[in-house]
Amino acid sequence: MLKTIARHPYLSRLLDALLPLLATLAALGVGAIMLFLLGANPVEAYTALLEGAFGSQNALADTVVKATPLLLVGLGICIAFRGGVINIGGEGQLIAGAISGTYVGLSFPEQPATVVVPLAMLAGFFAGAIWGGIPGLLKAYYGVNEILSTIMMNQIAVQIMNYLLRGPLIDPEQLTRASRIPETARLARSFDLPRLVPTRLHLGALIAVVLAFLVYVFLWRTTIGYRIRAVGLNPDASKYAGIQVKRYIVLSLLLSGAFAGLAGAIQVYGVHHFMFTDGSAAGFTGSAGFNGIVAALFGKLHPVGTIPASFIFGALLVGANSLQRAMQVPSALITALNGLVVVFVVSSELWSRRIARLRQTGAGAEVDAALLADEFDDDSRAEPVSEVNL
Amino acid sequence: MNEAELIRILSSIILQSAPLIIAVSGEIITERAGIVNLSLDGTMLMAAMTGFVIGLKADEAYPGSGVWIGFLAAAAVGALFAFIVAFGSIRLRQSQVAIGFVLTLLGDDLSAFLGQNYTRMPGPLVVRKGIPLLQDIPVLGPIFFDQSIVVYFAFALVIFLWWFLNRTQPGLKLRSAGERPEAAFARGVDVNRVRYLYTIAGGALVGIAGATYSLDVKLGWSDGHIRGFGWIALAIVIFGGWAPIRGMVGAILFGATKTLASILQRSFPEVSVVAFNTLPWLLMILVLLVSSSSLTERLIAIAPGPLRRPLNRFLRVAPPLALGTRFEET
Repeated sequence: MLKTIARHPYLSRLLDALLPLLATLAALGVGAIMLFLLGANPVEAYTALLEGAFGSQNALADTVVKATPLLLVGLGICIAFRGGVINIGGEGQLIAGAISGTYVGLSFPEQPATVVVPLAMLAGFFAGAIWGGIPGLLKAYYGVNEILSTIMMNQIAVQIMNYLLRGPLIDPEQLTRASRIPETARLARSFDLPRLVPTRLHLGALIAVVLAFLVYVFLWRTTIGYRIRAVGLNPDASKYAGIQVKRYIVLSLLLSGAFAGLAGAIQVYGVHHFMFTDGSAAGFTGSAGFNGIVAALFGKLHPVGTIPASFIFGALLVGANSLQRAMQVPSALITALNGLVVVFVVSSELWSRRIARLRQTGAGAEVDAALLADEFDDDSRAEPVSEVNL
Repeated sequence: MNEAELIRILSSIILQSAPLIIAVSGEIITERAGIVNLSLDGTMLMAAMTGFVIGLKADEAYPGSGVWIGFLAAAAVGALFAFIVAFGSIRLRQSQVAIGFVLTLLGDDLSAFLGQNYTRMPGPLVVRKGIPLLQDIPVLGPIFFDQSIVVYFAFALVIFLWWFLNRTQPGLKLRSAGERPEAAFARGVDVNRVRYLYTIAGGALVGIAGATYSLDVKLGWSDGHIRGFGWIALAIVIFGGWAPIRGMVGAILFGATKTLASILQRSFPEVSVVAFNTLPWLLMILVLLVSSSSLTERLIAIAPGPLRRPLNRFLRVAPPLALGTRFEET
């Protein structure tokens, strides 16, 4: 049965695209058992989840808002992983971008928004680029393992954020109120990204979607993008083909960080309008820096595929919150549920490869598939992340 | 600062580094066999939580035995996580890094969920026991031999692993699986079985390290209790050049810097606490930078001739050749 589908040119591709979705459903199935064991009715719980994610105009908007940083971080992850480097520093890069964006907004409260907001976005973009570029330089020129250095950079960003928000950037009013969570002053209202009133949906979501297509064009239709992918697939061959491998390693990590940094600035201007810290990274980022990795893997490391992937993951996060409110289940169950989805989705890759292998065994079908396959995902099945040497 | 105070500080450094030594040792045998278990941070959180909670329950049922049952449970959790990494990479042919990373996130979340009713509670504690005679040695005695049992275990483990890796047949097989799996296979070593074995054994040690925190060094459980230490252990493995004794030195150096930072912080309250909190992470990046090959090569190149060979031996570290790669029997 699987063999028949795998050899069918259209069905196999459909199945391939649906696998992450099926994996999510399977994870929710396991989640249902957990809910049942906790004494909650799984049907009611999942109804609450769906209601919370898609039930109303507001719910849908919240889902998209939640998905926006995931998509932006995920785009950066697509670039990094395609370039053969692993960026686990999304959290730190997001924070670096958010801080710089906030700083720009606080420094020029009187200037027109048309100048300040783009400037803040750029500041976020570049701050993220620096925060990702440092591990890139260390990796390319000194062979420092980027998984570890990006993790360390996350911690450093958190410490700097805590310092700035408790000191130089703290809201002057807050000093008198002695609140527990340090925060900056609210940015000028004119700086708020335009919204689709009455929902919370802001312009950032559109920016992210447009960027997703641009990243696709960049990776598959430009020389630089081609070289990034070439380095990711085979650094040795790329070197002999005259590509300056080290430079492209730095570039992949730098761009990857830049998108996370932009996500940070957009979170500030579109959602929060100020910055705050509870001492940990997740307090401000909501773990978007990590979840973005999952969203990108979910989207098979394809920028356009990451759009629906982040949407689904965003829905899960928003829906889970309302599930928790409706059913009074512990919040940690929700994080555990998300973890389950991640594990299932990543494991679904296995099936995807098995289908690919089965497809290749039928030679006639292979020719058909090759003819039908547009360039769109010609090499998306090749393993972009080279085996990592720790 | 008087002598007694100095001895107290040094003995606390040794105690602080014990769990790191155990975790680093565990990861070293895993990586020397060719597998990267990236899930250390999540594994240690899960193990710390499990060790504490099971220890607490066991202590209620059989007073006095709680600690040991807690350690056993933590080792089992560590072994389970490691098994998932091994199974996923060997059998399911998935990326070791992806599996490890996902397990890190899962361990973090799951430990917060399962341990939520046991935060900030008193629990069983590892006994402190001096070693007769040795503890009476001036200075060294109180630092090394009047310690918690986990400290003795950590040092014994390092010595055992050095001997095991470098002086025994099974140790040779382990290294061959990580360096030249094809050659090992041709000589009759079941490479993937060896990898399963030492990934799981290493994971069990990482689990014990996690419980060492919750049952002794950083007593008790709270959400995100020892978040970050797993990543530090992974960095120390690289710094230690995948060798047990150098790994131990790295762990102690890290413990010393952390202790030093907190002493300095007390002495210079006007310097922001951020500087001291950032220090260990910056230091880790620096350590990775120094122990990575290209910079040390330049260092060695400018050294005077007779110094080059010992420097080379001491500074150059190289990962096991087949680390992180899959081995397929053909």
